[in-house]
Amino acid sequence: MIVAKKKPVEEIIEEVKNYEKILVVGCNECVTVCEAGGKKEVAVLASALRMYFMNQGKDIRLDEVTLERQCDHEYLEEIRNIIDQYDAVISLACGVGVQFMAEKYFSTPILPGVDTCFMGAAEERGVWSERCQGCGHCILARTGGICPVSRCAKRLFNGPCGGSTKGHCEIDKDLVCGWQLIIDRLKELGRLEDYEIIAPIKDWSTERAGGPRKVVREDVRQ
Amino acid sequence: MPLQEKIRSKKFVVLAEMDPPKGADFGTLLKHANLSRGRVDAFLIPEMANAVLKASSLGACAFFQKEGIETIMQVCCRDRNRLALQADILAAGGLGIRNLMVVQGEDITYGDHPQARTVNDLGLIELVETVQKLREGKDLAGIELRGAPDFCVGTTMDISVSGGLLDIELENLEKKIAHGVEFVVTNPVFDLRRFQQFLKRIEKTKIAVIPTVLLLKSAGMARYIDRNIRGISIPSEIIRGIQKAPDKVQECINIAGDTIVRIKEMGMQGVLITTAGWEDKIPLILNRAKI
Repeated sequence: MIVAKKKPVEEIIEEVKNYEKILVVGCNECVTVCEAGGKKEVAVLASALRMYFMNQGKDIRLDEVTLERQCDHEYLEEIRNIIDQYDAVISLACGVGVQFMAEKYFSTPILPGVDTCFMGAAEERGVWSERCQGCGHCILARTGGICPVSRCAKRLFNGPCGGSTKGHCEIDKDLVCGWQLIIDRLKELGRLEDYEIIAPIKDWSTERAGGPRKVVREDVRQ
Repeated sequence: MPLQEKIRSKKFVVLAEMDPPKGADFGTLLKHANLSRGRVDAFLIPEMANAVLKASSLGACAFFQKEGIETIMQVCCRDRNRLALQADILAAGGLGIRNLMVVQGEDITYGDHPQARTVNDLGLIELVETVQKLREGKDLAGIELRGAPDFCVGTTMDISVSGGLLDIELENLEKKIAHGVEFVVTNPVFDLRRFQQFLKRIEKTKIAVIPTVLLLKSAGMARYIDRNIRGISIPSEIIRGIQKAPDKVQECINIAGDTIVRIKEMGMQGVLITTAGWEDKIPLILNRAKI
């Protein structure tokens, strides 16, 4: 999932303090799972904002809605009939949702309510960690299913840097060394000989060179 | 007279581009520079123009410094993060390089290493700001430097834009000036009437505008550039002139030399001659321009 964290409410207030009709829009997908931008967080943020405006003696309209997804035309269309009633929208979706909504509702300010962080997994309740950086060419088959791009602090492709101590990364002793994980997993799989294969110099052209990326599937295109 | 002094005293400056080699042999580079030595105020040393691997600008500038030749070092946002950029700028200062030109850098996909990872940690305006901070004696972390580098700082300006993009370019120019930029180099100019129209929008008193004069090599090259390269337009009479000329290379040299003369007559602050590999022709262009 895309992992996000809630923006400090002071930062959001700074962006919306001059508006009078505000819609807070949640997203039922990733940001709901990581408890940053779902229906519950929409309600919490809306309450905080109402309290702020009340303390300022300002009478404003503040409504809440949570869409199934904000990265899909279909669900974003659900607010088409009401969007003109507001002079600003706070989207609690990831950066994708905020932008997609801004593209669709071009004349309405769409403001982000979360900081989008990474693609990751829920390790336990309240702990999410990074697993993928979307480099565009997956090599997990060769690295025991553990990604050196997202798990190694230096994004190394040919073994650890030498800075790890007792299986932990030199930049943070609480961070497990990505290459320790890879080696442990290769051992478990009986494929430690894969470690001996020198990985080629990474081709980053699938990552970000050449500008924003696009996947086009002619077979599913309508 | 050093370039900075000449720019500040509003004297016409002649710059010439000298591309470092793709390799470690600097012999030809020096040979070409020596051909126009003394007639050019400073050589501009590109930093991997078009994202094609070459020896670094810093390296070539240091090489020329040893030879007593004044250079303008290019620093480019594309390949280095803020640490590496600041380190190179400090090194340049320490080596006695007196001029810097800050560029964004063409995208890596244009070059010969499209698999490389683009850096762009700082954008053009931020890098200009960084240079200003270093000149004031502090790095980007706010830590005091042991000896601040001093440079005459330039950057680029796109004169091909119009409408809203022109407004953005002019706004950016103001930001550059505010951060201590003293000169801007434009894209290659062939159509001087169009260039004059552009100049009306710039307050030339605040900054030295230095147009680029590109040496064409053939009518085919001129046609290709006119059709395919964004930001450069070549009048058809120039292309026809090359086609008709009995000595086409001489005609190209004449076009470049005559353009310099007209740029000088327009009261511009200088010119940058760029020859795309024909650096040995720079003296011939200067002859034609009577420089």
